[in-house]
Amino acid sequence: MKNSVFVAVLFIILSLTLSGCEKKEKDVRYTGSKAFQDCKAQPPFVQSIGFDLNRSAFSTSEKKSKGLSFIQFPSSPTANDSKLYQHPSWKQFGWLGPMAIDEKGNIYLAPIPVVNVLDNPFKKQVEIYKVNAQTGEMSLYYRLPVEKEPHERNPYGILGLVYDCETSILIATSVSGSERDTVSGGIYSISTKGTPALLDKLEQVDAMGVGVNYLNEEKRIFWGDVRNGDILSVEFTKEGKFEGNPRKECTLADLGQRGDDKPRKIRFNKDGDMVVMGVEFNFNLIAPTEKQETPYSFRYDIFERKWSFIADKSFL
Amino acid sequence: MNKYPIFPTFLVIVFVWLCYLSCNQPEENKNTSQKKLHGNAYGETAEFFPSDSVVSKLPFVQAQIETINKILKEPIPIRLFQDSTDNMLKIAQEIALKDPRFLQSVKSPEGKPFRNEIFGVFPARESDYGNRQIGEICKNGGCYRVEMYNYAKNLTTVALVNIPAQQTLSVYNLPYSQPDIPNYLKEIAIKIAIESPEVAKALGGKPIPGAAIMADTKTALNRSRCERSMHLCVSPTFIKGEKALWTIVDLTDFRLVGLRWTFVGDAGPAPAITEKKVQNEMLTECFCKQQTPLDQNGWKMNYMLTSSDGLRISEVTYKGKPVIQSAKLVDWHVSYSNTDGFGYSDAIGCPFFSTAAVVAVEPPKILDLWEGDKKVGFVLSQNFFSEGWPQPCNYNYQQKFEFYDNGRFRVAVASLGRGCGNDGTYRPVTRIAFAGNNLAFHEWSGTDWTKWEKEQYALQKSGTPYTKEGYQYKIGNEGNAFYIEPGKGQFNDGGRGDNAYTYVTVNHLDKDEGESDLVTIGPCCNTDYKQGPEKFIEPNPESLNNVGLVMWYVSQIKNDDTKGKEYCWAESYIKNGTYSTRTYPCFSGPMFIPVHSKQ
Repeated sequence: MKNSVFVAVLFIILSLTLSGCEKKEKDVRYTGSKAFQDCKAQPPFVQSIGFDLNRSAFSTSEKKSKGLSFIQFPSSPTANDSKLYQHPSWKQFGWLGPMAIDEKGNIYLAPIPVVNVLDNPFKKQVEIYKVNAQTGEMSLYYRLPVEKEPHERNPYGILGLVYDCETSILIATSVSGSERDTVSGGIYSISTKGTPALLDKLEQVDAMGVGVNYLNEEKRIFWGDVRNGDILSVEFTKEGKFEGNPRKECTLADLGQRGDDKPRKIRFNKDGDMVVMGVEFNFNLIAPTEKQETPYSFRYDIFERKWSFIADKSFL
Repeated sequence: MNKYPIFPTFLVIVFVWLCYLSCNQPEENKNTSQKKLHGNAYGETAEFFPSDSVVSKLPFVQAQIETINKILKEPIPIRLFQDSTDNMLKIAQEIALKDPRFLQSVKSPEGKPFRNEIFGVFPARESDYGNRQIGEICKNGGCYRVEMYNYAKNLTTVALVNIPAQQTLSVYNLPYSQPDIPNYLKEIAIKIAIESPEVAKALGGKPIPGAAIMADTKTALNRSRCERSMHLCVSPTFIKGEKALWTIVDLTDFRLVGLRWTFVGDAGPAPAITEKKVQNEMLTECFCKQQTPLDQNGWKMNYMLTSSDGLRISEVTYKGKPVIQSAKLVDWHVSYSNTDGFGYSDAIGCPFFSTAAVVAVEPPKILDLWEGDKKVGFVLSQNFFSEGWPQPCNYNYQQKFEFYDNGRFRVAVASLGRGCGNDGTYRPVTRIAFAGNNLAFHEWSGTDWTKWEKEQYALQKSGTPYTKEGYQYKIGNEGNAFYIEPGKGQFNDGGRGDNAYTYVTVNHLDKDEGESDLVTIGPCCNTDYKQGPEKFIEPNPESLNNVGLVMWYVSQIKNDDTKGKEYCWAESYIKNGTYSTRTYPCFSGPMFIPVHSKQ
């Protein structure tokens, strides 16, 4: 009897242990890259706009609509029922670019000049704006403490935003003040709990796209270097600090139709693959009519401990 | 947080050193060339060589052009694959040529032939099959992959054929992609590089054919691009000591596009050297970071490309007498009348690190200036392109400064289209700061010269009075003055009249009102005098007595796409199987005539 009880207990322990291992294996998958859970929520204020929310989204890239727009897409390719909404406060900061949404539906945005700087003065390009999830009102949220301001040879400031749901930290990339021979940009870790506060800064980095992911169970910030198309990463602590030395993960150099794309946006899909949106970027204000953007996919090989290029989807 | 270097220091030093060498040439070569780039090794090698370049006249290139022209006259304009005598490859090619899907893009919709060529035929691999059904058919062999390149559309078409069934199993297109090139094109690419004087100059002697490596390897052939021209380009590379000379050869136009030295290191493959990289680096190092002096026909000046004000000339003198402090093109305002408030306010300038929306991709040019068959001076000109030009909503702007041997000069600009519609009005904003501190500005009233006492503007319109010589204004002082003759369609450059706003403001020595780089100063779509310069006049115009003067000139030019009347316009057409561009520039800008000169 004692033996049978012991065997049963042992079986249960082993089962639990094995199932635990199996669960863990599933979580990190075999690639070692674990998809980071996005927590963005729909802002409550959109309920009152009267759009079909199943086919509506926020946009900062409407050609004839400066600032932030809320778009209802047509119900079919031939339908004429698309709509655009702008809160009165959404145009006041000029043309906008990167956007991140938190778990309450607050929207964080940064400006980006389009074609010229008439609506985007240099000094405002390092500001982050916030759209209140309840009211829809946009206001200045935080100004990056940059060492050098944007100027006539580099009109850009903030180029990327991502929100870390686990820590409520907003991460911003900037190229403010950089010159051809001098890197002055940085990556900023900003606490959104209460009054926004700078937690850490990675210096001398000219970055655009930024993403968060677990790699070999280590939380890391990934970013795209706007000078050479490389994707780099650094460990990111629970306290919002960048830890250790940055390391190169992979590159867009020589890939795709243009061969010199820079990573505009970095996201991870449910399989842990890294999807990088690549665009042309030469620190000028050229604005092609047709948006030339290519998605590039990379997969992490846990045994080789490196990312491999899977495909660009420009021909699909 | 930690800092880390983006480049090893020695690479930066090497690059700076190479740039220094490339932007400087022996003094005796300076300012002597006409119809040639002013300046430097990079400039000479990154130039787009005209069709009458040295290489294009050589027999081996002429032979290729003849063959292409012959093929373009055939019913199916495709140059066939000839690298192999393998009969199966020929049969595979013939099967593909019978499939309408494979031939779908070999001619334009109007039936004009494109230049097409089968670059390769290979036994198909499993990865070529695409689906299980084709895999079943091909598992016993007999399947081949046929790769065709369309030079005009920069398009690869791939057919998978099955010889036993005499059938094309699948066809697909890969836009903006280029297959591996056949052997004869590799040899031509190397030969073009070897025969180009610029390569021999860079290497210190004509290279021998065996010295070109990498041109016959897949890696090297995929490691160059002509991103702007969208042509087929490869890079024969020459090793000299610890350095490698990359040559970019355009196999669509059979010419050398550019050169670039790199160091042969063991740090792994270097990023590809491409057309755009060479152009951007050369322009930045040679023309955006430094001024270039020019001394010609009695005229002396400096010129450089700005961040957002186009090509800027400065310290201009004629026979030792100061004429212009600086002149540049601040903005292009483009409005479209069919859509209220729709348009663009474009700055032009350097390709890297600038606020330019339309950028320079070629260096400034110095050309002879002719009136009839008489050489009367020289022109300094610069073009700025959008990469998609002449497709809709892309732009090409030109600046030209004409300097005449008799002391006249003209500051002219043009749009070469094509823009976003046929209802566009272009308003270029030119700024000319005159030399001297005690200048006066006069306007012709119809009977006499009336002095402008305060900062102001005037519009050239149909009733505007001109002197019998056609002058509207006069600027200067007793010792040095110029009549100003606005464009009325009289300059024989296709211009149809300027309808220009002229503004005069004080040239302040103690405050900057546009002497340094100006970011965009006006919006796209104002149709009145509010084009930007008025900001330096209103609300309290200053006195123009005993001061230096700045003249702002904003012409207003409507585009036209009517057949036979095209203006500020451009269109593509097919020539020798590839796309060429026909332009209809709309030049505007005033002529300045010395008051005491005899024309």
